Amino acid sequence: MVKIFIDDKELEVSNGLTILRAAEGAGIPIPHFCYHPAFAPEGSCRMCLVEISGLPKLELACSTVVREGMKILTASEKVIEARKAVLEFLLAEHPLDCPICDKAGECKLQDYFEEYGFFASRFKEAKEKREKKVQISKNLILDRERCILCTRCLRFLSEITKTQDVGVLNRGIHSEIAVYESNFIDNHYAGNLAELCPVGAITDTDFRFKTRAWFLVKKESICPMCSRGCNIFIDSHPGFARTPLAQRVYRIRARENQDINSFWICDFGRYHYSYIDQGRQERIVLKKEAKDTELSWEKALIILAEKVKSLVYLKKKSRIGVILNTWLTNEELYLADKVFKKGLGLENIYVVDPPSEKGDDFLLTEERTPNRRGLKEVGLPDLTPDLGKLALQTDLLLIFGTFLVGRFSVTELKSAFDKIGTKFLFAAHKSALDSLVDVVIPTPLIAEKGGSLTNVNGKVQSFSPALDNSLGLPEWKLLIDLAKELKINHKPFWQLSSPQAILEEMGRGIPFFK
Amino acid sequence: MSPEYSELLRQRIAEVIARYPKKEAALLPVLHLVQRETGSISPEEEKFIAGILDLKPIKVREVVTFYTMILRQPLGKYHVQVCSNLSCTLLGAGTIIDYLKEKLGIEIGQTTPDKKFSLSTVECLGACEQAPCLMVNFDYYGNLDKERIDRILASLT
Ligand code: SF4
Ligand code: SF4
Ligand code: FES
Ligand code: FES
Repeated sequence: MVKIFIDDKELEVSNGLTILRAAEGAGIPIPHFCYHPAFAPEGSCRMCLVEISGLPKLELACSTVVREGMKILTASEKVIEARKAVLEFLLAEHPLDCPICDKAGECKLQDYFEEYGFFASRFKEAKEKREKKVQISKNLILDRERCILCTRCLRFLSEITKTQDVGVLNRGIHSEIAVYESNFIDNHYAGNLAELCPVGAITDTDFRFKTRAWFLVKKESICPMCSRGCNIFIDSHPGFARTPLAQRVYRIRARENQDINSFWICDFGRYHYSYIDQGRQERIVLKKEAKDTELSWEKALIILAEKVKSLVYLKKKSRIGVILNTWLTNEELYLADKVFKKGLGLENIYVVDPPSEKGDDFLLTEERTPNRRGLKEVGLPDLTPDLGKLALQTDLLLIFGTFLVGRFSVTELKSAFDKIGTKFLFAAHKSALDSLVDVVIPTPLIAEKGGSLTNVNGKVQSFSPALDNSLGLPEWKLLIDLAKELKINHKPFWQLSSPQAILEEMGRGIPFFK
Repeated sequence: MSPEYSELLRQRIAEVIARYPKKEAALLPVLHLVQRETGSISPEEEKFIAGILDLKPIKVREVVTFYTMILRQPLGKYHVQVCSNLSCTLLGAGTIIDYLKEKLGIEIGQTTPDKKFSLSTVECLGACEQAPCLMVNFDYYGNLDKERIDRILASLT
């Protein structure tokens, strides 16, 4: 540890720390562009200059290591003047097109200029005209006029993906970021670059010109697209003049978590969000003789409970089947275990998930579902149903999710389902199953409910709703209601009224969840 | 590797690479070796060199586009490089450059249609004492004025 002083604050910080990190740790922000905590310091943008007592010139906070007794000034007149000068140089060649720039509102250049800008321009020379629309990957567009050459993009591609897809070509004022000929950036982490670029030089066609950053509500969530459980932000438009089911989600961004995904997410998780707003189930529907009747949950619950009770009463509970999936949270799987396996003593409990696909050696895993580990820890069996057998042995089938559709053909499903008396479907999305079942009950997505997921390495992560959901009750709520209706188990368990309370209860029974 | 590079070139490249702890470090000398044989570094050469040094072609292009001495297009027989740095500019490099453009009928960075002359501007040639000055291929010419330019150009056949 060394003792240093930053702006009169006395601090004890560890050896080898840079001034910038030490200051950030003490809650003193130092403006910077090229520095990013994931990479070795580069020292190219000069935005982070600070004054160190006894030294004649200003030093770079991002790459100067603290020394015992160092006295650092981060807001002295000299420092402020240097910031103004650096910004003046950076803007000497900048097109000032913030009004049409997607980064506006969350751009470091804009923010710092607002604070330290030298507002009257002293440059009389014409600016260089550069290309504003260079495609550098499937989704990314580079604007060379906005680029401040901080090389964050380049360092991400050399240090993180190690694919070295871009370089800095030419020299001096002509320097520019470029890919080689038409070799686009070719890795499925490229989407991170639009976030990483401190200015609006790299923009994402997926987001470009669709909305403005300041309209978006930014909420924390967990990516459900594979079992890594990357931490994300879901940015949604609260919507003036938006019809209830119009697009809400405009982008997914990475949220730092050093234990899981560092600062990054994969493109698969980033760009697959349209499912949140598209093809959703909207109402509880009872299907009878090709006629749909809308039901309240109370009514649907009674119908369901009656079916279950009658089969149990007739000692035919082996004729009840349940199909779960691991898009369900830990809490929901736990309740499914409590209600179906432990409570009713059902044996035919199956799991149908999205099929596995190739993972990579960074974040993306083979399991394209967020909670297989949770299923294991809850202690539910991981059985895939044999459709033919299921059809013969089942009178009442409760299906969670629509993943059967990917696993079996619609013809196979139809011929099996025709033999099963009553089918309840709990699903967030419309699918081919809708016409094959008797009751459809809409459920929220992970983005819309609370709970926890256990990632591939056994890390339990809790999350809260990032979007509001008026479409359906979360499965944990439905399961508790069902338990109450069936009078399964003891009372306290019916009173669990939040995912947190369920998780606490789980911790008492299952050490893993403690 | 493309086959059209000479055995001698490949041998010299191998020698150069052996001198450095990392292959990448041999990039500049290798660029010069290849350019000596091919006259310029086209994308073809970039990829050839990238292959030999285990680099991505973009890394080679970074260096190629940084240094003016590495040529991206083959030049004319005579490469006229006029210094446009401080001393030379103060002593009239501007006029010299304009005169050369006019005489050769080309702009900076261009080559005459008969492929005889290419014209570039370069930074300080380290010969400020004879400013304004220029180089034709590897030869220096200083204390330039229009007549001297006429004589130099006439002597180049
Ligand atoms: S494109 Fe963005 S990240 Fe890359 S060098 Fe330019 S400003 Fe930096
Ligand atoms: S690695 Fe998995 S969890 Fe992370 S963003 Fe990609 S799909 Fe989502
Ligand atoms: S952040 Fe220190 S030089 Fe860029
Ligand atoms: S400035 Fe021209 S040779 Fe030095």
